[in-house]
Amino acid sequence: MSDCQEVIQQLWEYLDGELPDGEAAEIRLHLSECAHCNPQYEFQLGLLEALVKAYAAREVPQPEFVRRLKAALDVIGNDLT
Amino acid sequence: MTGPGSSPHTAFQAVALPHLDAVYRYAYALARDRSLAEDLTQDTFLQALRHWDQFTPGTNARAWLFTICRNLFLRQRERRAREEPTEAATLDGLTADAQAFAAPSDGGRALFDAPELGDVIRRELDKLPAEYREVVELSDLQDQSYADIAQVLGVPLGTVKSRLFRGRRMLQEALVDYARDAGLLPPPGSDE
Repeated sequence: MSDCQEVIQQLWEYLDGELPDGEAAEIRLHLSECAHCNPQYEFQLGLLEALVKAYAAREVPQPEFVRRLKAALDVIGNDLT
Repeated sequence: MTGPGSSPHTAFQAVALPHLDAVYRYAYALARDRSLAEDLTQDTFLQALRHWDQFTPGTNARAWLFTICRNLFLRQRERRAREEPTEAATLDGLTADAQAFAAPSDGGRALFDAPELGDVIRRELDKLPAEYREVVELSDLQDQSYADIAQVLGVPLGTVKSRLFRGRRMLQEALVDYARDAGLLPPPGSDE
């Protein structure tokens, strides 16, 4: 069974979905029972959620640019066909 | 992947073009300028179409496009500023201490509920050294796996992890400093 130090070491990989199912399940179980690790988990998860939220309405390509790009791709694409 | 009778152009449109917004955002993250990002995005897609036969159907098209985009960016940057030294060499070899950062005892709830947090995060992410910022961008904003990031950046998996964990740690530290200054968290030592 995982101890706290191991869990903290693997927490980013757990949050990133990079751990094999068995290891992820162990960490999930540990987190459900451990008051010590939970603030760490909450803090790391909070950062990831805040990053996504901070950039939710960020730069998108301008419609005119998209139109020009697609036209250029069509020219090259038609030559390839 | 390409059905009978379908042309490379058709397959390209179906597989690569849906990633246009993501590639543009990645280009913008690299170039930090709208006009440069448009040029970079255009060059990426034109090159991708010309070399479409090198794409392996069923693999991660977005990561493939990011790889092209980044290579183009690096080539352009090299051309523009050969004399500018980079600190890339000193940023590798990071240790496991990058992973652990003592979280506030409440998990940072007051910080994450702060309405100004988005501005603070964007400002702090901009301040990260490029080597760290790009892995955070690829992982946390573009949802790429460690393996795909390693492919895009052309670095070992361990380097991806150490840069990612270090970059996030820098962000955590900056956010906690901000939260303490703003009174959202108690000063160090008083909440443990």
